[in-house]
Amino acid sequence: MTVLGLSNRRELEIRRYPILIYALVPLTALVLQAWLPRLLHGYVWFDLPLVVTVYFALGRRNPVQGTLMGAGLGLFEDALTHHAIGVNGIAKTVAGFLAASVGVRIDVENHTIRLTLNFLLSLMCSGIYLFINRILLGLDLEWSWVTELLKAVGNSVIAAVLFPLLDRTQIRD
Amino acid sequence: MEPFFTRYRNLLVLLVLLAAQIIGLAVQVRRTDSGRSSYDIADGPGVRLIRLWANALVTPAERLIHDAKLGVGSLWTGYLDLRHVHDQNQDLQKTIDRLRLEQASMLEDTKQGQRLQALLGFQEKYIYKTVVAQAIGTSGSDQSRVFYLDKGKDAGLEPDMAVITADGIVGKVREVFPHSAQVLAINDQSSGAGVILETTRIRGILRGNAAGQSQVVGVMADPRIKPGEKVLTAGGDQIFPRGLPVGVVEKVVRDPDRDSFVDVIVKPSAYLDRLDEVLVITSTEPRFSAEQDQDVATSEALKGVEAAAIKEQQKASQIMAERLPGLTDLNVPAAGAQAAGKPGEPGAAPGAATPPVPATPPTPKLLPAQHADRYSPGSYPAVVPAVDAKPKPKQNPVPAGQAKQVPVKAAPKPGDPAKPRRTQ
Repeated sequence: MTVLGLSNRRELEIRRYPILIYALVPLTALVLQAWLPRLLHGYVWFDLPLVVTVYFALGRRNPVQGTLMGAGLGLFEDALTHHAIGVNGIAKTVAGFLAASVGVRIDVENHTIRLTLNFLLSLMCSGIYLFINRILLGLDLEWSWVTELLKAVGNSVIAAVLFPLLDRTQIRD
Repeated sequence: MEPFFTRYRNLLVLLVLLAAQIIGLAVQVRRTDSGRSSYDIADGPGVRLIRLWANALVTPAERLIHDAKLGVGSLWTGYLDLRHVHDQNQDLQKTIDRLRLEQASMLEDTKQGQRLQALLGFQEKYIYKTVVAQAIGTSGSDQSRVFYLDKGKDAGLEPDMAVITADGIVGKVREVFPHSAQVLAINDQSSGAGVILETTRIRGILRGNAAGQSQVVGVMADPRIKPGEKVLTAGGDQIFPRGLPVGVVEKVVRDPDRDSFVDVIVKPSAYLDRLDEVLVITSTEPRFSAEQDQDVATSEALKGVEAAAIKEQQKASQIMAERLPGLTDLNVPAAGAQAAGKPGEPGAAPGAATPPVPATPPTPKLLPAQHADRYSPGSYPAVVPAVDAKPKPKQNPVPAGQAKQVPVKAAPKPGDPAKPRRTQ
């Protein structure tokens, strides 16, 4: 009987996806994030790039990849707003890093854990956003925690639908 | 021993990325004169480049989705759902006729206004040229209420141009890309538009709040501000022409930061969350555009005679109204009859006919004062003889111990000048 070391076991559990999925899913998330609010009359109670970041970070279990993906998507989101570029970038960088770091230690096959993690990371991102704007940059920004809570719930709902769908696209040996 | 960089690779990557972004943020934020921080209004070249890339990546997909949606929509509305089109067409024709008539009747006033403005050296600017654009996307964040148009520099758009709809103002162009443009909506926290309340003529600055509502900030508390009052652009911000509809007052709330100030929450006239087609004002001039001139000429040609006839009729009615003594109400008894006594009552002149008197609007009755003083109505006689400050020569001295009686007139004689009442 072969006993797997930690690194080997990790390699076995790392999920792999077609390159097209890596390219299309984040791009689709960004486009839909920008387009759907028009359809929903301005109710932006979701953050698709964050959901995608968390999914790939948990699946890949690589903090560097999670950090880079979070930073890229966050900066991209910032670029579409009229605010300074980097606020969302920092928030999602931290989210990607934490998701990948936690993913090494928990069972990512469990949906409940993934959804809970998604909910908590959404709230954390909102907190970081507020911290950067109010404390770090000293900006006068009005804030509504109810909206952020609704956004976290929205992310969890979307994750509940999206994660199983994306699971089907992974490459199985 | 594992090398340092290999061991802490994950953490180092995180720290490097965070540090780079924090430095980038510090470059983009500036300190204002008031001591507060704000985003730099004009993006630097690097930031602008990143925005351009992001826009170039997202806009084509958004445009594709939008065009597909429009295609399906036009297929439905243009070929399938054509019920009631004839009725709508007739209604629209009637509306056009009515508007042409109104335009023709107001033409003379407009020309006169322009002549007076020219004399005073003041030039009202009119919307001279507009570009129709479609809203195709948003920022995707509720903290940044901006949206994207499918027209950009190629269509002549420039920053700080006003964006409106037929219902009211929408926002201003913030950033222009080659084939698209970013518009800052009026309900964003960083927006600002000079507005005026139509009835009370109170001016203020319109901006958004966290909930996405538009509010006029920095307004002194005034009980005259009531829900339902219209809000118009004031024209002082050099972006929106004067007099465009903004919305109506929804409610007035106290300013949490400053006493005696209120925030006037405004319900925008334009549907900011459901925008499809907007107009970008690319030029304002102190004269009408060729299209407007042509439209006015058409209205004058078609409805000018009718408008002139209506105006003459109105003028004649006005002259008649001025010359006539007024409407008479035969049921109202005469004031003289009331004073002399009603017919049949003692003191009434027998056979005295009650002449018709002009009907007057009912006079509002004052409520009795809770603590009456000398200023309260009814606490003093109708007419009190003047009391001179200086003592007059005594004609009929009152004996000591006898109560002084103040003579009171029942009614002033006609023709007597009203004496001023002096107070000490």
